[in-house]
Amino acid sequence: MKVGFVGLGVMGRPMAGHLLAAGHELAVWARRPASAAPLEEAGARVCATPAELAACCEVVISVVTASADVEQLALAPEGLLAGFAPGAVHVDMSTIAPDTARRVAARYAEKGVGWLDAPVSGGEIGARDATLAIMAGGEAAVLERVRPLLSCLGRTIVHIGPAGAGQVAKACNQMIMVNAIQACAEAMRLAGAHCVDLHKVREALMGGSAASRVLDVMGGRMAARDFVPGIQSRLHHKDFAILMEEARQLGAPLPVAAQTWHQLNALMALGAGRDDTASLLRVLEPVSTTGG
Amino acid sequence: MKVGFIGLGIMGRPMALNLLKGGFDLTVWARRAESMAPLLEAGAKGAASAAAVAASCDVVFSMVADAADVAQVALAAGGVAEGARAGLIYVDMSTIAPSAAQSIAARLAERGVVMLDAPVSGGEVGAISGGLTIMVGGDEAAFETVRPLFACMGKAATLIGASGAGQVAKACNQILTGVGVLAVAEAFNFARKSGVDAGKVREALLGGFAYSRILENHGQRMLDRNFKPGFKAWMHQKDMNIVMQEAHRLGLMLPSSAATAQLFNAMVGSGMGEDDSVAALKLLESLSGE
Repeated sequence: MKVGFVGLGVMGRPMAGHLLAAGHELAVWARRPASAAPLEEAGARVCATPAELAACCEVVISVVTASADVEQLALAPEGLLAGFAPGAVHVDMSTIAPDTARRVAARYAEKGVGWLDAPVSGGEIGARDATLAIMAGGEAAVLERVRPLLSCLGRTIVHIGPAGAGQVAKACNQMIMVNAIQACAEAMRLAGAHCVDLHKVREALMGGSAASRVLDVMGGRMAARDFVPGIQSRLHHKDFAILMEEARQLGAPLPVAAQTWHQLNALMALGAGRDDTASLLRVLEPVSTTGG
Repeated sequence: MKVGFIGLGIMGRPMALNLLKGGFDLTVWARRAESMAPLLEAGAKGAASAAAVAASCDVVFSMVADAADVAQVALAAGGVAEGARAGLIYVDMSTIAPSAAQSIAARLAERGVVMLDAPVSGGEVGAISGGLTIMVGGDEAAFETVRPLFACMGKAATLIGASGAGQVAKACNQILTGVGVLAVAEAFNFARKSGVDAGKVREALLGGFAYSRILENHGQRMLDRNFKPGFKAWMHQKDMNIVMQEAHRLGLMLPSSAATAQLFNAMVGSGMGEDDSVAALKLLESLSGE
C-alpha cells in the first residue's frame, strides 16, 4: 500500500520503520526536514508539503502532539485535505480532543476522504516492539481497509465506535493510568513518610490485589527516584486539559481526575514537565518555603 | 453559683480570668501547676484534681486539646464524674468530634452529670476580649443556667440543639473557615501569577458578593505576609480531621473539605504547622513554582 507518515518523533519513527519493514511504499513529510532523514535513508520518499504527501498516498498516518497540530495538518491551505483524492484515508494516531477528531472527520467526509482516530497506548516501548494497543474511532469499513497497516504497529486493535470514539477511549485510558500513578505516588509518599523501604513495599504489593502495571513500572521508578522519561509528564498534563474540558462540556463530574490534574499543574510549576510522570511523587514531598 | 475551670492554656486562661472578672467564685485545675499560677494570683482557688473541682462546684468548664483529653478530664480516675454531685453541669468548650461529645455526655449522664458541648470561635483574641462566639449542644435548662457565665466569655452563645450539636456547628465553622482561607489564598495566588495586584483584587471584591470576613481579615494578613498565629495551621488540620472522620462515619461526600484537609496536611508536613492558617498562601506559592 502507498502509505504516508507525518510526525517522526519518539513514537512515530519506529512506527514508520515497521511499515517500511513490512514492504509498504512509504512517503513522509516533516516540519523539520532533519527528522525525515533517517527514513529517507531507509528508502522513504520525502514530500515538501502535507498536500503533496496526501496526493501520492492511499493512506496517511499521523502521530503529532496536539489538537491544533492535527487541525493544521489536515485543514491548512497546504494541508492533507488539499491533496487527498476521494477514497483516501487519514489515520490520526495522536492523542487529541474527541471534538477535534469529529470536526476533521466531518470536513473530510464532504470530500469523500476517510478518517480514523486511532490513538494508542503502550508508549515508546510499545511503538518499538509493535505491541501498541490501538483504539479506533470512525467507520468500520475504513478500519478494515487500513487494518493490515495497523497490524504492523500494534497487537490489539479495537473498533470503539464512530469518529471521536477512539479519542474517548484514549481519554479514559489516560485518566485511569495517571490517576493510578497519582495513587501510586501517594502510597509511596505514605511509605516514605513512615521511613519504610519503598522497594520492599512495591515488591510486596505486586503480589497482592493492588498489583498493576503502573505500580510495577512507575512504583519502581519512584522507589529508585528515577524520573528520566518514559513519558514526559507535560504530555499527560496536556491530556488532562483535554479530558477535563470534555467533562465540563458533558457535565460529567471527575473529582479524582480533577485532583490529579492539579497535581500535574504543580508538577509543571516545579519545572518537571520533561521528567517522567513518576515525578508526581515530588509534588507530595514537603515543600521548602522561603519564609516571610 | 460556684464555678470550676479545667485547662488553662492559651484559650482557657483568659476565659477563666473573664469569669473571675464577672465576679464568680472560681476554682481551677490544670495538669501543669504553673498554668494555674496566673489564676491563683487573680483570686481563683486551686484544686488538686478535676474531681476536686467538681466536688466544690455547680458548673465546671473545660478547655483542653482533644477528645482523649476531654474523656480523661471527665471520666478517668480523679476526673469530673468521680467528684461530681448529682446535678452538676459540665461544660466542655474544647473542639472535639460531635460523636465523641455525645458518648462522653451519655457516660456522664449515668453519673447524674449534665454535659453541654460548647466549642467556641474567635481565637485567642476573642478569648481575651470576652468576644467569643459560643455554639452549644445539650439540655436547654442547663444552657439557661450557664448563660450568665457564657456572657462573661462570649458576645453570643447559641443553643444549637441536643448533645453534640455545638460540635457540629463548630465543625461547620471549621469547614467554612478552612475552605474559605484556601479560597482566598488560591484567588490571591491566581491574581499574582496573572500579574495582577492581589491587594487591588481584595479591595474591589470586598464591595461585592465575594465579601467575607476571611477575605477582609485573613486576606489582609496574606497581603502583609503576616503568618504569625492567630489560629495555627496544625490546629486547623486537627479540626479538619474531625470533619473527615465524621464524614466517614456518616457517609458524607465533602470534596472541598477533603482537599482542604490535605492542604493542611501539606502545611504541617512542610513545617508550617506553627504558622497561622493564612500561610496556606505560602504553600500554594511553593506548589506553583516559587
